[in-house]
Amino acid sequence: MDRREFIKKGFVITAIGTVGGFSLVNLMGRSREIYFRPPGALPEDEFLAACIRCGKCVQDCPYDTLVLADIRDGISVGTPYITFRSVPCYMCEDLPCIAACPTDALDHSLTDVNKMNIGTAVITDREACLSLNGIRCEICYRVCPLIDKAITLNKQEQAITHRHTVFEPVIHKDFCTGCGICENACPLDETAIRVIPSERGDKAGHYFYLREQQS
Amino acid sequence: MGAMDRRDFIKSTAASLAVSSLLVSCGKKEKGEPLVQKIGGEIDALGIKWDKSVCRFCGVGCGVLVGRKNGKVVATKGDPECWSNKGLNCIKGYFLSKILYGKDRLTTPLIRKNGKLVSATWDEALDLIAKKYEEILKRDGSDAVAMFGTGQWTIFEGYAAVKFMKAGLGFISKDGVGSNNIDPNARMCMASAVAAFMRTFQSDEPMGTYEDIEHADTFFTWGANMAEMHPVLFSRIIDTKLKNPDRVKIVDLGTQFTRVSEEADLYLEFKPQTDLAIANYFANYIIKNKLYDEDFVKDNLVFKKGETNIGYGLKDKGADIPKTAGKMEKISFDEYKKFVSTYTAKYTSKLSGVPVEKLREAAKLISDPNRKVCSYWTMGFNQHTRGTWVNHLVYNIHLLTGKIAKPGQGPFSLTGQPSACGTAREVGTFVHRLPADMVVKVAKHREIAAKIWKIPVEKINPKVGLHTIEMFRAIDNGQIKLLWTQVTNPFHSMPNLNRFTKAAKERDIFIIVSDVYPTRSTEVADVVLPSAMWVEKEGAYGNAERRTQHWNKIADSPGEARTEIWQMWEVAKRLKVDANRTVADIIYNYNPDNYYEEMWDEYRSFTLGIGKDLAPYNVIREEHGVCWPYVAKSKAVNGKKDFSDVWADIENTEPNGFVSVKWRYNARYDPYAAKFIKEHPERSFKDGIVFYKASKNDYRATVLAVPYEPPGESPDNEYPFWLCTGRVLEHWHTGTMTMRVPELRRAVPRAVVNLNEDDARKMGIKRGDLVRISSRRGSVVFPADIGGRSVPQKGLVFIPFFDETRMVNEITLDQYDPISKEPDYKKCAVKVEKV
Repeated sequence: MDRREFIKKGFVITAIGTVGGFSLVNLMGRSREIYFRPPGALPEDEFLAACIRCGKCVQDCPYDTLVLADIRDGISVGTPYITFRSVPCYMCEDLPCIAACPTDALDHSLTDVNKMNIGTAVITDREACLSLNGIRCEICYRVCPLIDKAITLNKQEQAITHRHTVFEPVIHKDFCTGCGICENACPLDETAIRVIPSERGDKAGHYFYLREQQS
Repeated sequence: MGAMDRRDFIKSTAASLAVSSLLVSCGKKEKGEPLVQKIGGEIDALGIKWDKSVCRFCGVGCGVLVGRKNGKVVATKGDPECWSNKGLNCIKGYFLSKILYGKDRLTTPLIRKNGKLVSATWDEALDLIAKKYEEILKRDGSDAVAMFGTGQWTIFEGYAAVKFMKAGLGFISKDGVGSNNIDPNARMCMASAVAAFMRTFQSDEPMGTYEDIEHADTFFTWGANMAEMHPVLFSRIIDTKLKNPDRVKIVDLGTQFTRVSEEADLYLEFKPQTDLAIANYFANYIIKNKLYDEDFVKDNLVFKKGETNIGYGLKDKGADIPKTAGKMEKISFDEYKKFVSTYTAKYTSKLSGVPVEKLREAAKLISDPNRKVCSYWTMGFNQHTRGTWVNHLVYNIHLLTGKIAKPGQGPFSLTGQPSACGTAREVGTFVHRLPADMVVKVAKHREIAAKIWKIPVEKINPKVGLHTIEMFRAIDNGQIKLLWTQVTNPFHSMPNLNRFTKAAKERDIFIIVSDVYPTRSTEVADVVLPSAMWVEKEGAYGNAERRTQHWNKIADSPGEARTEIWQMWEVAKRLKVDANRTVADIIYNYNPDNYYEEMWDEYRSFTLGIGKDLAPYNVIREEHGVCWPYVAKSKAVNGKKDFSDVWADIENTEPNGFVSVKWRYNARYDPYAAKFIKEHPERSFKDGIVFYKASKNDYRATVLAVPYEPPGESPDNEYPFWLCTGRVLEHWHTGTMTMRVPELRRAVPRAVVNLNEDDARKMGIKRGDLVRISSRRGSVVFPADIGGRSVPQKGLVFIPFFDETRMVNEITLDQYDPISKEPDYKKCAVKVEKV
């Protein structure tokens, strides 16, 4: 085998490996549409540009909330992200992740952890939510670090028994930090409350304008 | 319309509407659904067979339907026909089925050999236990053995245990008497309520039912976090408020801001122990403003003053408690008025830290003659070194205003455990009690018990046994040589735990633990007996509203696990009285194929004709819960007393000739009250209410004058914080069941210490920081929670006790109420340091 041949073969093997690897990734369903970033992260495009993939925030996270994206995550490789159902953000008051960030990928001017905005929780499965079915669950409400602010209970008569109350957890975007403790704690197999990106819906603001006019 | 004019017609229509709504509200014949559970249950489309049962957890006693497939419990759901919960559950109840199938269920007996628990056969374990009983009873007598049980025993188990200890062991013991050293963990839970019930009304358990919630418009929660501890009942209170938001008021009194405070219209945060002063202030307000019900006071009440300066049980054998601690002396109403006049708004405010305006606002609500007031309390009152007193003080308020034993009006002592009432209290699994409110001290009571048990009366020990705290202290002091614990986990839940765990390990004590999972108590056991739990055996629980709820055996127990009754029976079989008889022949002389029914009939005979009447076996088996007294119309129906002459006046009677009484002492609902009033024409009874059990006080309830006294241990320079312990909604007691339900564990994986925000800031403690909490008895590290579901007042920290990896009871204090002997888990002094 001469050098040329070797290189060619090597290339083929690499190509097979790469193709195989990617299809394996696809099979495993690892490619994500949304990455939930650490507290104070810049908007996703800017974050990807600013993050130098040093992994320091991951290293300093005391709860192992932050993990590093790997090769299967494509362009995000080496960046930190959160999977709330595994470990949510426990909202350390001293924000060690931001302190560890050597760039501005995480906003160093964010000092009040209650102002962070990783996303916003919403009840995504109202039919499955136990509280909405009248079961005295409301775990998401009681574990919320901003209880009575980010999540409150809306009370209505239970329509079947007429003797009980449905305690509906209601999330308030202005206070919800997207820490994901509620998503983590939901006792259902498929969580009924999830953090989604805060930027959503009517970005142009017409709806909110309308609401303001009405109120 | 003939003789009936329009006005009469409207009146009669209103009356019949009222009657029909009452019929509906007694839980019968709604929606045309079948009333009676078909024994054995029905099979649904998924092949799941549904049987009725009752939730394994708290004292609310929610009915549940249990789904079984292939011999395993696969699902549970709220029982819509159970009146206590009407089909709803909390999140613990939702996951009930999973408590049976934790991976580490105990499936074989274990015997400690060379310091290690090793598997053994049942014969080995039972022979060893019987040998130890025989040896110790013959050598040291019946005082040297003890049994520690629970308000989670089924009624049958509690009854079998009482007979084992109080009736059976006397046939083996050298002193020829049984042992009264049997106490339930309900001592740590309900004893203060019991003591006050007995001293006020001479009959244990509440007068009303949960139905009060739908009739009331004013709710007082006294140190009771019902939102988390009695979730389904709280849901009913909020519904009552939703239906009439402007009228209904909720007043929460507590030492920390809880989920009840959040829903309350008025929150009074008081300094620990000053609930005594606040309740006395309310009484003073009622008197000063002449808001008491004069006729009710005249007809139904007697005034007494209690002994003061009664100690805290801090020394072994109660050495610091005066013998007269429980004494009550008759006084006049005027003397009582004078006594409470000390508790002015200003004085009470200074003592309690509650602003004068708030005190006045609350006093106005509780005493308003146009308001229907219900008071609820649990551990905040009962686990209190003056727990009996503070229970009395709330009765005082309700008695003075006559707001008692009427729909929507009454003091209601909630229970923590599913059968604290049904088993611990009604069966009488306490050191001083016998079934149906009787006590070992009274010769006549011993005679009644001996007759029903068919044993010589001398076999029942007249000497009161060692109550819980002294029982465990006696392990340390060497008096107790054998301890059998069943369905409870004292080496996690006892206050001042380090002392007792050390004693268990070091003293010459043989410990038998019957349980379903490895616990902190099995760690110190010499023998561990794997037990069948909940629906793996037939059972019945009695909840806080006097409701008896029965279930059939629904699933098989795993491995070699056996019921506690079987375990006691097998030990009794091994204890030979003479050549022909064993202890089992004497105390468990039942047909092995039908012993639950025979045992029930025997136990029930204690309760008949005295106003504690339990329902017949076929009724508890078929109905979805029945409240006692379940009174028969006439002797012929199945009773001891005849009520035919008053029957027509009683509401909610059933066609079968029985009535399940919703409001005791009230002649409209309780045949005993109606009969008593009829038999005593010389007396008047305001609103038809008579405390017919209070024979010692001329059938009057006691209003007791007792003062504020400081707690057993208060914060000082070295230990500047109060420590209060308790539970959270997601976990039950020591977590042995709920921590094995992955979903509940995920929701609340560990105990945290709740700190006041100002305190935390001062000490530089942030959420999630590890904090060392130390007392004179030990120290434990917890992660800090600030601004969460529980917000303690300044200077107080709150820690739940479910977590076996960080046990708060290593630092609590084994102080107790000298009257009820119930320990105070809510107040001791600690220091707080950032780790």
